[in-house]
Amino acid sequence: MRRIIIIGAGQAGRRCAEMIRELDAAAEIMVFGAEAHLPYDRPPLSKSVLLGQSVLLGQETQGSLFVRDAAFYVQQRITLHLAEAVTCLWPTEKRIETVKGRSFHYDVLVLATGAKARRLALPGADDPRILTLRNLDDAMALKQRLALKPRLAVIGGGLIGLEVAASALQMGASVNVLEAGERLMARSVPTAISHRMAALHRRHGVMLHFNAQVSAIATSEREVLLHTNTERLAADLVVVGIGGIAETSLAEAAGLAVADGILTDASGRTSHADIYAAGEVARFAQRFYGAAPLRQETWQIAQLQPLAVVRAICGQEKAYDEVPWHWTDQFDWNVQILGTPTEQLHQIERQEGERLTLLALDDDGALRGAVLINNGRDATPCRRLIAGGKALDAAALTDNALPLRSFL
Amino acid sequence: MGEWHRVAAEEDLQPETPLAMRIGETEIAVIRLPDGIFAVNNVCSHEYALLSEGFCEDGKLECPLHQACFDVRSGQALSAPATIAIATYEVKCECGEIFVRV
Repeated sequence: MRRIIIIGAGQAGRRCAEMIRELDAAAEIMVFGAEAHLPYDRPPLSKSVLLGQSVLLGQETQGSLFVRDAAFYVQQRITLHLAEAVTCLWPTEKRIETVKGRSFHYDVLVLATGAKARRLALPGADDPRILTLRNLDDAMALKQRLALKPRLAVIGGGLIGLEVAASALQMGASVNVLEAGERLMARSVPTAISHRMAALHRRHGVMLHFNAQVSAIATSEREVLLHTNTERLAADLVVVGIGGIAETSLAEAAGLAVADGILTDASGRTSHADIYAAGEVARFAQRFYGAAPLRQETWQIAQLQPLAVVRAICGQEKAYDEVPWHWTDQFDWNVQILGTPTEQLHQIERQEGERLTLLALDDDGALRGAVLINNGRDATPCRRLIAGGKALDAAALTDNALPLRSFL
Repeated sequence: MGEWHRVAAEEDLQPETPLAMRIGETEIAVIRLPDGIFAVNNVCSHEYALLSEGFCEDGKLECPLHQACFDVRSGQALSAPATIAIATYEVKCECGEIFVRV
């Protein structure tokens, strides 16, 4: 009987464990996690967890965060070692050691160590009023602070920053967002969408500051002062949402190939035999992004890339090949981003009242990306059109009367 | 067991184009498939969204928010992030009218 050890008890770790069990009834499965919580999904942390809304209708709060309850892991013979971080990895001996000083041998190892929140590299950034949002404990702490209706400054106008801004405003905080660049969500969407997101936030009373790189932090008992090139902003609470850093320290120390993520193939194989990387810590080439290997921090990658890893482990190879998809929920908008809707592509807007589908086509007329605002019905047709890559009639696409599925 | 409610004329229901309606406090989606007309609870079991706003194909209804997929015939959740089934309701057709028992 082989022993498969999974390091990291997040969404990707859970997915690996439960799918290994589906394909291999005999394997011994152990999951190690630094946090004390059962594995959970992160998307609600910046939204419904902060707002205190029941995530799962008719069930207790945090219901859908956890997806599986403790009994599931027992029944599936998946041994969870929670609050037990792995501190050392010896690939040649196939052995790990945990923070409790315990040592375990493995036959196959999966690194699902995820990422950590990037912090401000400035003096004063360790002030207890300057927070990041990465895990459930962060979210619960932030929720408590937001209940005091503080003057909140959010650093970073990306997905996390904007979701926190929207949640905080709805909880009664006053909210300023400081974005170092010229527009919101610049990594995910073209300018036309950034402008709409800015209008949405302003309409709800969020104050947006662009080209606002924080250059210094001054703290006093009363408040935190954030200095940018042009202004000085006082806040009671600061949330830093400037991206994540892959958690690669174990892999690096063990000598695996690492470059902002653990380098893998499309099935999660690392540079070392019998060691795989799963979820957002893995960096690999994907056809929808061109040749350069990349790392994604999305629900989709944590949900579906582990399937490719598990299939490789179980000898049923099927490499990861999904059309990139992520979403954000801000105020009453659900925004979905498929493929790579970059600025330089030819953009077609299909607007129907409040709903919008923005299509991004390349020079050959093939759909490369799409952004949907409150228009999820178009997600599946867009995904298929992007995957298929056939040339489309751009003029016909502007006709709202023709449903997207008619172009399939 | 609930009562029968008239929800639409049969001719008003296009294939795989969900019809949304509210009966009392209950949100319902009525859907025509090749093998009959089905009714399910219209609210996603993951987060609040009306499933009738989503994509419908091959007897599956997809949530417009996060792409969870449900079997229209059984209500079963077919894909994450939803894990819990949605309710299904009995449907009968009489003289060109559709009735749902809620």
